[in-house]
Amino acid sequence: MTSLTTFYLSGLIGNEAFGMDGDAIGVIKDLLIKSLPTEQDDSSRQLVNGIKLKTGKEIRCYSFSTFRVVKAREKLNVTCTGLLGLSVNEINNGLFLVENVLDKQIVDLNGRKLVRVNDVRLVTVSQGTFAIAVDIGIEGLLRRIGISRPIKQFLSLFKISIPAKFILWEDVQAIDYSNLNIKLSKSYAKLQTLHPSDLADILEDMGKKSSMSVFSALDEEKAADVLEELETHAQIHIVESLPVTKVADVFEKMPADEVADILDELEDEKAEILLNEMDNESSQEVRELLEYSDNSVGSLMTTDFLSFKPEITVDEIIKELREKRPEPDELYNMFVTESNDELIGTFNLRDLVLAQPGVTVNQIMKTEPVFLFDDQKLDDIAEIISKYNLLAVPVVDSSNQLHGMVVVDDVVEDLINKRRTRKR
Amino acid sequence: MLNTKDKRRHFFKRLALFLAILGPGIITGSVDNDAGGITTYSVAGAIYGYGLIWTLIPSFIVLLIIQEMNARMGIVTGKGLSDLIRENAGVKITFFIFVGLLLSNIGNTTTEFAGVAGSMEIFGVTKYVSVPVVAFLVWILVVKGTYQVAERIFLIFSASLLTYVVSALMSKPEWGEIGSAIIRPRVEMNTQSLAMVIALVGTTIAPWMQFYMQASVIEKGLKMKNYKFTLVDIVIGCFVTIVVAFFIMVACGATLFPNGVQINEARDAALALKPLAGRLASQVFAFGLFIASVFSATILPLATSFYVCEAFGFEAGIDKKWEDAKEFYTLYTGILLVSAIIILIPKAPLIAISIWSQVLNGILLPVVLISMMLLVNNKRIMGAYVNRPVQNFIGWSAVCILIALSAALLIMPAFNR
Repeated sequence: MTSLTTFYLSGLIGNEAFGMDGDAIGVIKDLLIKSLPTEQDDSSRQLVNGIKLKTGKEIRCYSFSTFRVVKAREKLNVTCTGLLGLSVNEINNGLFLVENVLDKQIVDLNGRKLVRVNDVRLVTVSQGTFAIAVDIGIEGLLRRIGISRPIKQFLSLFKISIPAKFILWEDVQAIDYSNLNIKLSKSYAKLQTLHPSDLADILEDMGKKSSMSVFSALDEEKAADVLEELETHAQIHIVESLPVTKVADVFEKMPADEVADILDELEDEKAEILLNEMDNESSQEVRELLEYSDNSVGSLMTTDFLSFKPEITVDEIIKELREKRPEPDELYNMFVTESNDELIGTFNLRDLVLAQPGVTVNQIMKTEPVFLFDDQKLDDIAEIISKYNLLAVPVVDSSNQLHGMVVVDDVVEDLINKRRTRKR
Repeated sequence: MLNTKDKRRHFFKRLALFLAILGPGIITGSVDNDAGGITTYSVAGAIYGYGLIWTLIPSFIVLLIIQEMNARMGIVTGKGLSDLIRENAGVKITFFIFVGLLLSNIGNTTTEFAGVAGSMEIFGVTKYVSVPVVAFLVWILVVKGTYQVAERIFLIFSASLLTYVVSALMSKPEWGEIGSAIIRPRVEMNTQSLAMVIALVGTTIAPWMQFYMQASVIEKGLKMKNYKFTLVDIVIGCFVTIVVAFFIMVACGATLFPNGVQINEARDAALALKPLAGRLASQVFAFGLFIASVFSATILPLATSFYVCEAFGFEAGIDKKWEDAKEFYTLYTGILLVSAIIILIPKAPLIAISIWSQVLNGILLPVVLISMMLLVNNKRIMGAYVNRPVQNFIGWSAVCILIALSAALLIMPAFNR
């Protein structure tokens, strides 16, 4: 059979389904799809496997495999060859299209934002009925209210058409799983592909409950990246709502300076609890940063940086970098220190790439490097960074010992925040 | 043990926290005293003297209860009221509410511009200058500014509403009479006086306020932990609303009522004050009207476009760029433009517009309030923070009274004819 019937969820809900003998067996209340796509499934569509029927006063779920949707003269006919029950497991692992998707917010993975679902587009082919797209356009809205057709006819007089706006199912990530007890991490799998900044923006737009459940579903690395990108009040909301152990785990994956910034905003007691929960090495770094006053270079610097002994060769450094796989920021500028951590020179990736493998680093480094003191005022940084065209500046204490570096990203962020406060 | 220095630090930290939380309640309360509100209070004072001042007390209680629920919903869910209505009541009710709100708020914004035009005419500026200039400035403030700037400016605006206190004091009211009028409320059972009572309550509790309140609580990122500060903010906001209303009624009741001056507009009140209380009192009154009108002309279109977009899933917010939130900015600009143009049309039916937007508000208010009561009692949404029995009792009685009043307002014109 090559028949292909496309229809909208709104056109189906509220219709009666008919049995073999042509008698009505119930009113269609909802459709169920699997919430976790399995490996074999085509990601561009999701099989409808259940239907919720209201017969008399009773509402029950049945398997959709015996149901069939046919369009005859613009009208949808739903027929059923026999009622098969659904297991509790299937219901619990499913997603109801009306209850969890329609009128709710979903993440549009392609547009990387939250959108509201006006309708769901479905298709029936020989293999079954599938959800293929969600409608987020004005046309869907008018269709739901029941005035789509007259308005379209009216507008066609002026040759205006209402643009339809669909999101294909592979770009749809539902977020409202409130009544399901399934493994959330898997249901939010599609979100892991988004950039942390985009994910952070989306989380900020969500309600509190959804943002918490999505955040808890992220793996620690991703969670750390996202937490870093969130705005302060969203950060605090998440840190205060999640279990302490989970927050501590995420904090351990974050740069110490970002953690210190968040802890600064929390109440002292809560901050102390979190610090105690973190492993010693990470919490020690954060504690040191917390000592610096808000307006000093120390409060902005990161303690994640790379430093090497002067007599090490270029070859050895590159080998070490390959093993360590440092973050991009750490490669902006690398440092050479004596055994007492005294800063004696800096070098960057370019110096490293251009040098012969056997050369020692003290031959390629810039001596008398530009640096900042940890207790210096924040205002000085931007000037130095722009004057010397630097991506990262080393930070030393009064005895010239290296403690960290200030990265250009953080400086820019600080400047933007300052401008905002000034505007206020 | 805290030493003195720590204690002081502690105090300042709390003060800073309080000031940071301050805002939503006070601003919502101040927008409430818009041109329409000032008109209603002035007319009530002119016709009934101090006779209807007592209505402010029940209004205060109802206002407080409703705003508290909004703040609580915003804090607990992090979702706007229109989001919640759309997700729980479905698309048809949502559509009805928002088309209604859109129309009534275009009407309300028109009233605000009428306030701008009227007050500036007292200072000798023609409306053909004042209205376009104000509309443009308001537009720029929102499109090019940031929410924080706008909010700070509005807080300063709120303070200037206190000019009505000055205006009232200059009219030398009889405090004894005012006291006894509040203690022994009288209701004349005739349509005109009942309509006045309805208008007074109706202008104090408008449907759009609920959406605005909840949105600004979310914008502030408030938390349940600091709920008592939020509560203080709401109480201050409601109190300011009522106090300003009180002094407007006193000012008009002390001067216009004994002299039997009849007025239709707030501008008339300002003009009538001139021979009775002096030129300065008149100008102070007009200035207050001007500020209130500009203030509400900024917030009303903004709030309206914000929650319409929220409900229908368009991107919204003044922190977004024009290209990203096209629907939002188009709607905002449209409302502003339409309202300003209506005022500039010679012989526009202003009174009809303001009556019709009041009628729309009257129909919408019960729908919005019932949705709110259902949402705030929904355990799935509110968790442990659902209404307590006392809150439900006051809430539902308020809803019933407001529905009865609104129904009366809608039905009464039929009997008058």
